Amino acid sequence: MKTFTHWIVSLTAIAGIAFAAPVAPPPSAVAAPAAAPTTAPAANAVFRVWTDNQGRKLDATFRGLQDGNIFLQVRDGFVHRLPLAKLSAEDQQIAATLKPEGLGIPTDPNLAQQAAKIDFLVNGGLAKAGQKPNPLATDEQFIRRVYLDIAGRIPTREEALEFITDSSVSKRAKVIDKLITSDGYKSHLFNYLADMLRVSDEANKARYYTYQDWLKVQLNENVPWDRLVQQMMTADGKLLDNGATGYLLRDAGMRLDNLSLTLSTFLGANVSCAQCHDHPFAEWTQHEFYQMAAFFGASETYGAKGSGKGMANKEMRQAIMSLPDKRLQQQAKNIARVNGLQVVDTEENDLKLPDDYKYKDAKPGDKVAPKLITWGKNDTHLRSYQEVKTKEPSELRDQFAKWMTSPENPRFAMTIANRMWKRFFGVGVREPVTDLDDVNASVNPALLQHLASEMVRVKFDLKAFTRLLCNTQCYQREATSFEPEAGSAYLFPGPTLRRMTAEQAWDSCSTLVVGHHVDEFKSWRGDKYAKAMSIDFTNPSTLADQITNAMQSMRSNGGGKGKANANVSAKKRRMMQQQQQPSMADEDADFRTTPPMLGGLVLARASELPQPEKDQHFLRQFGQSDRQIADSGNDEGSIPQVMMLMNGEAQSVISSNGSLVLKTATEQASQEASIESLYVSFFSRKPKPTEVAAAKEALAAGLALKDLTWVLFNTREFMFVE
Amino acid sequence: MTLDPLSRRAFVERAAQATLGVTVLHGASSAARAAEAAAAASPTSGPGFGKAKRVIFLQMVGGMTHIDTLDPKEGPTQGPVAPIATKAGFQLGGTMVKLAEQADKISIIRSMSSKTGVHAAGQYVIRTGYEQRGTIKHPAIGAWAQHFQGASHKTLPSTVCINRQPGAGNGFFPASFAPLPILDPDAGLQNASFDAPADTVQKRMALLDKLDGGFRDRFQTLPVKSYTEFYENTMRIMSSEDLKAFAIAEEPQELREKYGMNKLGQGMLLARRLIEKGIRVVEVAGGGWDMHNDIEGALEDKAAELDVALAALLDDLKQRGMLDSTLVVLCSEFGRGPKINGNGGRDHHPKVFSTLFAGGGIKGGFVYGSSDKGGFEVADKQVTIQDFLSTVGWSLGLPVDEVVMSPSNRPFTVGDKGKPVLELFA
Repeated sequence: MKTFTHWIVSLTAIAGIAFAAPVAPPPSAVAAPAAAPTTAPAANAVFRVWTDNQGRKLDATFRGLQDGNIFLQVRDGFVHRLPLAKLSAEDQQIAATLKPEGLGIPTDPNLAQQAAKIDFLVNGGLAKAGQKPNPLATDEQFIRRVYLDIAGRIPTREEALEFITDSSVSKRAKVIDKLITSDGYKSHLFNYLADMLRVSDEANKARYYTYQDWLKVQLNENVPWDRLVQQMMTADGKLLDNGATGYLLRDAGMRLDNLSLTLSTFLGANVSCAQCHDHPFAEWTQHEFYQMAAFFGASETYGAKGSGKGMANKEMRQAIMSLPDKRLQQQAKNIARVNGLQVVDTEENDLKLPDDYKYKDAKPGDKVAPKLITWGKNDTHLRSYQEVKTKEPSELRDQFAKWMTSPENPRFAMTIANRMWKRFFGVGVREPVTDLDDVNASVNPALLQHLASEMVRVKFDLKAFTRLLCNTQCYQREATSFEPEAGSAYLFPGPTLRRMTAEQAWDSCSTLVVGHHVDEFKSWRGDKYAKAMSIDFTNPSTLADQITNAMQSMRSNGGGKGKANANVSAKKRRMMQQQQQPSMADEDADFRTTPPMLGGLVLARASELPQPEKDQHFLRQFGQSDRQIADSGNDEGSIPQVMMLMNGEAQSVISSNGSLVLKTATEQASQEASIESLYVSFFSRKPKPTEVAAAKEALAAGLALKDLTWVLFNTREFMFVE
Repeated sequence: MTLDPLSRRAFVERAAQATLGVTVLHGASSAARAAEAAAAASPTSGPGFGKAKRVIFLQMVGGMTHIDTLDPKEGPTQGPVAPIATKAGFQLGGTMVKLAEQADKISIIRSMSSKTGVHAAGQYVIRTGYEQRGTIKHPAIGAWAQHFQGASHKTLPSTVCINRQPGAGNGFFPASFAPLPILDPDAGLQNASFDAPADTVQKRMALLDKLDGGFRDRFQTLPVKSYTEFYENTMRIMSSEDLKAFAIAEEPQELREKYGMNKLGQGMLLARRLIEKGIRVVEVAGGGWDMHNDIEGALEDKAAELDVALAALLDDLKQRGMLDSTLVVLCSEFGRGPKINGNGGRDHHPKVFSTLFAGGGIKGGFVYGSSDKGGFEVADKQVTIQDFLSTVGWSLGLPVDEVVMSPSNRPFTVGDKGKPVLELFA
């Protein structure tokens, strides 16, 4: 046989198609067939030697035929596309009879190779422990999962059917490509980040709408993760003018708490102990924690003093006190406070050790100079460390941000890569994701390192990374159906079976009721709020009117305390309910500005509803984070939650006459078709004959289709992601 | 490598966490915990230890004025109502008329002190013993008790909170440890009645079992099983007598009126019903104590509500023979300033304030510690919030010294290493 690389070149030549050659020479462990003769590409042991019509040979596995081309995957994962006619007559015949291996063909040959590398590492981990990967997921399992994982909701009945009936071999790759460009992708990622960053409508007696809007814009533009985080760390100015300041201002006046979260969230470094005393397990001391905090020692975030447009505080106070009544004065003070929330760099790093500092290396109240933590002895040789030079106080924060988000930071890429992995596989390669600690103690260190390097390779493009993970075979396997034995590591034979997040569940409920319209409504509240809060305190004669208008504007903007419910005013909501017709029945309705409503519920994506929702809302009952604690959305059940599922508003709206899922099922020609319609809507699959029989029997015994929607809604199959 | 007990358990838990890929709180850590418990030998006996089998935890929201209720003063800081005598010998605020008649059942700590003068932060501390952080949730007393003593009832939750949100009361423990919230005692449990006729419900449930059976057989994982259990428990509660525990309308009208027909009074009555049915810890919140303006008018309503309800509760528990085994605690996030401000109100005052204990092995007619003459500062025997919560834990028989590691590997104890005030116990 001729050499491997020669073959690629010559085949590309005969195919007459400009193939992108593999970007980098494959790492030797992957490329050398001797090292892994049966495991690469993943789960595809059926290699054979293919011959073209000039006698040249290729060791590859058959991935399918499409439009007169044959797709062959070589051992390093690269997939070649060749005109079938270029193969030898014998091989053309074989291709016509062979069943394609794996899960169809990728839309991008390089991507296939990159995905195969991940599969190789996962399979290596499994093989070492004597475990086998799960079987590949069916199309039905795959489509429901990939919608929930990428777009954050179940597919509509039509979306599921479109995929299932699509006969093209590249349909899985294609639907992944479609979903990462969907609105749902941004909404779902926003929910994840909102939990992680404790995004909350209200904090420090102000509304953080500009922060939310800013974050959504970043996701709309697919701003790379390193740049997004860097912006949050370095943002200057007022919250009202620059939403990116929201991250630091979320903890205004509490820079130690903020830093502790920054380190655990973005670097997987759990130093919360060292905030008060030396870390009992890891290496970090309280002194080192303060040295890190010193990077923020010249940044002021305490905005409670308030400030008007270019006014001294004294003048502003006088203007406020000149207002006719106490209520207006209080409102004016609050508005001044909101305007005062800002990040300002000062000339001096004022960080000092706490009064109760008890270690011998320094004294309480000592000034602290900035210094970076390290994970390994050689870390300081890395470029990310070498570049931190300036001692200019006002530049400290920028220096820190540059170090933290650098591709050469020892943990930044790994932390987000591990977090993303957990979103798609249910468990991080290293847990908890906020405390990576010793990477070698992870269940698969090589995989973790590789994911980190992939994150760097895609330049922190989370969309590209999502695409990569979803194209792996390990992602496209069946969910694990067994409980891992206590004491054994989870090595990713497939994704775990996960309960939907609160947001996935809510968005899926809404999808059942209004279909794809659920994605249309967008809540932008920052500009209106900033405008309402922009008060000219220098003009005392109009100040009272300005304040009154601002409060009015807040109320009509759904900004009233505890009443915030999308952008719909209470009055409008009542009117809609009185009409007893869902607004979705109105064909002229523009759901981009007014969300569909039914039974008093605003059927918009969770990302466009109040952050977080009020306590009694489905979202909170189902585990949406209260946004006080980072990463605290939970997937646990409770009795009140189950009571809500059985008897609450959501089930009632889903099984009401105005609900799309019920309407569609009712319109079907036969009872079997109605049952099938509900099954496809809820589970993205057709019912089994036994299920149809059981449903028909129950319908004959007095249940109605709305009861069947109740039943499907209350199944474990609905609330878990297979 | 030698490790102290703390590090050793951390090590074991960490190893478990790494290998399982999930956070571990029970199970894998129990061996390590047992080993450590043996080494540390947390004191588990002493006066009053474990005398309380149940706790009613009354939290007045807004900062209850100590001078007008439990720690009366004469002189310039007295406030609108003069102190009154009690049958126990000590005085109470003039608003506590009915409680004065029950003074032989209560102990008061008059030397409480907190570092927090902000409502939400103060409420968090007195409920959990820890300061609020962005990285972890701390458990309230009911969750701690469930951790050490298991569930208190086979179907009902072990903790209920009335007139308030659960507010992550389970802390870092599983969600099944969270208090079940009853936001309005009159309304009882939300969504607790079926949305359809009984026979339809039965048919739905039967069909649900059939259609979901395949999935449940295929995925026999813990989360799936626990959801199935939640459905079973919910069905059991909804169709059992247990649900009646939440139906306050079942109480005689006369008794309801004795507690007071307001949220606090009815909340306390519901609390008594619930502990009677086997719920271990019931929190009852009472609002309206943030009396910055016109404290005289505010006290007329709020203090009277508290006085009537608390006296009724103590009497009711006594008559049912439950007082000895039920600890009743009254607290607030801080006290209120001795000086009456320009608006006729009192402002926040965390430096010194009072709490009340009754039942559960607590002495009757006893006062511990004192504030100074005006009610400004602690004069004698300062008690921290951590001591206060440790005392509650001690009364319930919890090992208050035992360190429990959170899933994030951080060490916590009931009441954050406070010292139980053993003098309170008979």
